Amino acid sequence: MHAEPHTGQPESVAARPLAELLDCPPETAKLLNHSAESVSCEAGQIVFAQDAECKGLYVVVSGQLVRRSERMGAHLTLGPVRAGELVELAAALGGVHHSYTLRAVTPTTLLLLPKPALAQAFDSYPPLRMQLLEELAREVSRAYTASTVERKMPLRRNPGEAHSA
Amino acid sequence: MAGFQSHHAPEDCINCEHRHLRMFCNLTPEALVDYDKIGMLMNHARGAKLFTEGDQARSVFVICEGQVKISATSREGKTMILKIAGPGDVMGLSAVLANVSHEVTAEAIEPCQVKTIRKQEFVDFLGRHGIASMHAAQSLSGEYLTVFHDAKRLALSGSAAGRLARLLLDWGSAAAPGKPETRFTMALTHEEIANMAGTSRETVTRLLNQFRRDQLIAIKGASMTIVKPDALERMTA
Repeated sequence: MHAEPHTGQPESVAARPLAELLDCPPETAKLLNHSAESVSCEAGQIVFAQDAECKGLYVVVSGQLVRRSERMGAHLTLGPVRAGELVELAAALGGVHHSYTLRAVTPTTLLLLPKPALAQAFDSYPPLRMQLLEELAREVSRAYTASTVERKMPLRRNPGEAHSA
Repeated sequence: MAGFQSHHAPEDCINCEHRHLRMFCNLTPEALVDYDKIGMLMNHARGAKLFTEGDQARSVFVICEGQVKISATSREGKTMILKIAGPGDVMGLSAVLANVSHEVTAEAIEPCQVKTIRKQEFVDFLGRHGIASMHAAQSLSGEYLTVFHDAKRLALSGSAAGRLARLLLDWGSAAAPGKPETRFTMALTHEEIANMAGTSRETVTRLLNQFRRDQLIAIKGASMTIVKPDALERMTA
């Protein structure tokens, strides 16, 4: 069991990085700001768990987190996530469930943009959708690279800890 | 690899009777008319390379008919099969949108019909139609999950039997989604299957024979039927 992270409406200053990152016009930024939730986590807290339903797109405002995937008691560390990064764009735009667990390494603040608001902004503002598509494409590209690296590593036959870049 | 039903190749997108079954092409009437005007339908023979790893990404490819092997090459020169793409799959999308070279090679493993759309033409099309952008996002998301789960299967699965069972189940569900009996055509060699399952050709041959003896699967020529999906599923757990 893990403690639930605290969620609530963000202050306008906390919501700003999302709008700046996505470079939206006022009406779209307003939609994003109004719907975004602030998520605060202590070190060790789980933001979302693998296979849990994806609620939306996360943006890391501050702190550091780590992505971990697990199967049959074996764990694979997928690497750190830092401030400014978008998290789980693939699940937010196309998937249903999280493909990994996101855990805070340090005290962390994130913004959660719920799926319905993301879909509305995606639909109403073409430049935003192209930016998100480009970011998602880069995420896929990084996954290809990681996959190639993973295949160069010896397979683990026993449950334990495996690390990838 | 998924074994897809054999269809007559469509002559255009508007009159394509299989469009509603395919994720990307299932567009609104307005977007479909626009989609039909862009790109060109091209036929490719078995073995033809649509694009090669490291090539500049100039076009997006949507498979109308046939199957395409997606592979990457390691630094040691070993070819690694990442997936088998089928009708409705979009290839080259991540490289085009990320503005990078192709990360993979796409090679037809049977005669294929593919709609080829130039980069700018495709990007402009996405800009005009939100539904096409959403389908592109879903396609990218699916591509991401495929690569992610593939890497995870190899890194974390405990046994070669489990990895092979997972592959067969994935191919079966892609060939006949929602149907009780899953039958598909095996277009890959045991060597290629071994590559995808992260094991040796000899192990694949031995395991397939074992699965057949245990009546988990039935093999007739190039056709494979999954007889006991639950038993295979338990192997992957």
